[in-house]
Amino acid sequence: MLGIIAKSLGTGVLTEADPFGGRASFGFPVVDFSRCTACGECAQSCPSGAIQAATPTEGCKTLSLSYAACIQCRACVTACPEKAIGVSDGVEVAAYTREQLAQTASFTVDPETGRATFSQDAVHHGPGLAESAFRLRDRIRGRLGRSLHVRQVDAGSCNGCELEIAATANPLYDLERFGIHLVASPRHADVLLVTGPVTRNMEIALRRTYDAAPEPRVVVAVGTCGCSGGIFGEGTYAAIGGVDRVLPVDVYIPGCPPRPQAILNGLLVAMGVREARILPSREQ
Amino acid sequence: MSNALEVAANAVRELRPGELVIDASATALPGLADRAISGLDARLMSLFASDEREVAGRFFLHHVWSLPQLKRFLRVIAPIDPAEPSFPSISAKHPAANWFEREVMDLFGLVPTGHPNPARVVLHDDWPERAWALRKDFPAQGAVARVPGDYHPFRPVTGEGVFQVPVGPVHAGIIEPGHFRFGVAGEPVLYLQMRLFYVHKGTEKRFEHLPWRHGVFLAESISGDTVVGHALAFAHAVERLATVTVPPRAQALRTVLLELERIYNHTADIGAVATDVAFTVPASRAQALREGLLRIQDRLFGTRLLRGTIALGGVRHDLTSQGRQVLSAHLRVFATEFDALIALLIDAGTFTDRVDGTGILTHQAARDLGVVGLAARASGVDADLRRDHPHDGYAGVRFEVPVEDGGDVRARLMVRAREVEQSLLILHQVLDAMPDSAIAASMPERLPALASALGWAEAWRGPCTHWVATDTRGEIARVKVTDPSFLNWPGVIQAVPGNIIPDFPVINKSFNLSYSGNDR
Repeated sequence: MLGIIAKSLGTGVLTEADPFGGRASFGFPVVDFSRCTACGECAQSCPSGAIQAATPTEGCKTLSLSYAACIQCRACVTACPEKAIGVSDGVEVAAYTREQLAQTASFTVDPETGRATFSQDAVHHGPGLAESAFRLRDRIRGRLGRSLHVRQVDAGSCNGCELEIAATANPLYDLERFGIHLVASPRHADVLLVTGPVTRNMEIALRRTYDAAPEPRVVVAVGTCGCSGGIFGEGTYAAIGGVDRVLPVDVYIPGCPPRPQAILNGLLVAMGVREARILPSREQ
Repeated sequence: MSNALEVAANAVRELRPGELVIDASATALPGLADRAISGLDARLMSLFASDEREVAGRFFLHHVWSLPQLKRFLRVIAPIDPAEPSFPSISAKHPAANWFEREVMDLFGLVPTGHPNPARVVLHDDWPERAWALRKDFPAQGAVARVPGDYHPFRPVTGEGVFQVPVGPVHAGIIEPGHFRFGVAGEPVLYLQMRLFYVHKGTEKRFEHLPWRHGVFLAESISGDTVVGHALAFAHAVERLATVTVPPRAQALRTVLLELERIYNHTADIGAVATDVAFTVPASRAQALREGLLRIQDRLFGTRLLRGTIALGGVRHDLTSQGRQVLSAHLRVFATEFDALIALLIDAGTFTDRVDGTGILTHQAARDLGVVGLAARASGVDADLRRDHPHDGYAGVRFEVPVEDGGDVRARLMVRAREVEQSLLILHQVLDAMPDSAIAASMPERLPALASALGWAEAWRGPCTHWVATDTRGEIARVKVTDPSFLNWPGVIQAVPGNIIPDFPVINKSFNLSYSGNDR
């Protein structure tokens, strides 16, 4: 017993004062569209379809990138012959809609040379972040206060996201100090933290868990599979896909799996305490 | 060997190094299985079907055995006529085949005749009859309508004071989904029934529709805690198909990655066992140690859970000499703290009271059920692919395979603790003598058509095996993934009865099986 007390005192406080702002050697890919020629090599190399190249009309090409579907494998970074795909070091990515995580660039193709040049800025679809944040705050206003009770639901994950969600409770990140508690029942929960891809066999259990949670309930989709189905795809015989195919999702936390600080950040976004951020900063 | 199996000497072909095949008729399968087990100490590693009607006009059934004495795998292949879609079951005599054969029935529509319990295992009740997802003519995209039905009735319990406790699929902690039914009389559990496959994602079908180069990323997502194990098993199969030799430095780095994965998982599990008996000091020490390992992995390889580290043909990141020093230094500090953690646990009577004699899986049950990996070694089964079928750099390093006899929670904990010691020993040997070479061999443009190969790796939980077959274009025709969890869940069913319900979490955690790896 004395040994245990001595051990505890000797160890001291491990919790990090500020878990945010840490830099990763690889957050997400960032495309410098001004150097991009829309050759489509990156789309070819992408195993989860996060990058799509298309030719919507003659003389026009588009390239879209969605962080909702990115599994952070870095294949596109190596595949790009123009070295136009850089590496972001920011990891605290969260959004309110799946569309906010996507961007599309348009290119005009010179009919003579066949060379594509960047013509239009990357476009974010759907409502802007500020508007979405206002709407979410308006819905939960005053009801959740400064504490959040979270029920985690694995609706099909590979368990990678569960490992990182569990890590948010370890002594270094210690999510409880932010007023966030992981609870045992949806009856006690304000937030459902759902990982995917939602499988056919978990769909009914997920809906019932949602129905069991009291209003106002917030749904946070965690991980690339939870945001978009990821590498397992959507609409297969076994995988329905992203959580938003089954439940209304309030906050998306992409990543394969998202780091503990990204999950913490997403939960604080759901609480209305932190602002959502999408585009990771570029490191190069 | 052909004598032991009572087959002609030329019936056994060495398809690839370490991989033997025998073509047999379906009726010969049970006899071959009996003789392989009795004569060659064979262990069932996998059993699966492949739909080759397009090219060969038939299905094939494959029995994959490990022959540790010969350091070979043996695959027995039998054709199945589509007009008579059935095969003789071996489950009555060899229970290890039980779920495998039912999975073949669920996903291919081939019936195991003589199976003692031919009920659905993968498919849930609302899946329609006569829809076999892994047949080639079953579409890759498109939802399947739910049908009402009850094909999986739980066994009723009767008797005074006897009742059922249903748990899951959504659990109270941060764990994966599965449904458990405890039949209890008061607190002691009379028996345990299980309903799994809630996270069946159609992974094997998905492989068939991905370019083969992308398969390694899907393999990483079979079980998020066994990223390196499954990526290696898949990569080994593809490399053997393409007859690519992995450079020595890449083999060494793969060994490093696989052992790091073992250490961080074992540390986490030891902490989780402490959590489940409410012993919080070592639990949080273990979490902090694990976080330290993940951060050093992040720093050296750019990834906390070692995703994206294995490439087809080698590895994706080299380790500089400075990186090796950083890692060695971290591991030395870790070793001291890990020893202190184990001492803290086993010196505490309140802890050992909860784990000694809890959740016993007997040696006989482990052998009969074909339990593998650390759970088997904790029940006195001395098997480890790293020694019995060496892959990557393991033939060149010294290590022991820890085996315990207790079969209880403590034995599984001690196997983990001793394996961590061995892993550290392996890591220091490899890090101190890292060969100089490229870190990846180049892969060919395309894989050979209509070929197949087995890949394997002893991951932290146990053996991961992948069988990869190609079609006429050299693209993937079939991947059979076997996670150790698939063989070990029946072991949990045997270990729980006789214990009280409050001990279930700690028993379950001492196995720590993957639902996703099992369900795929």
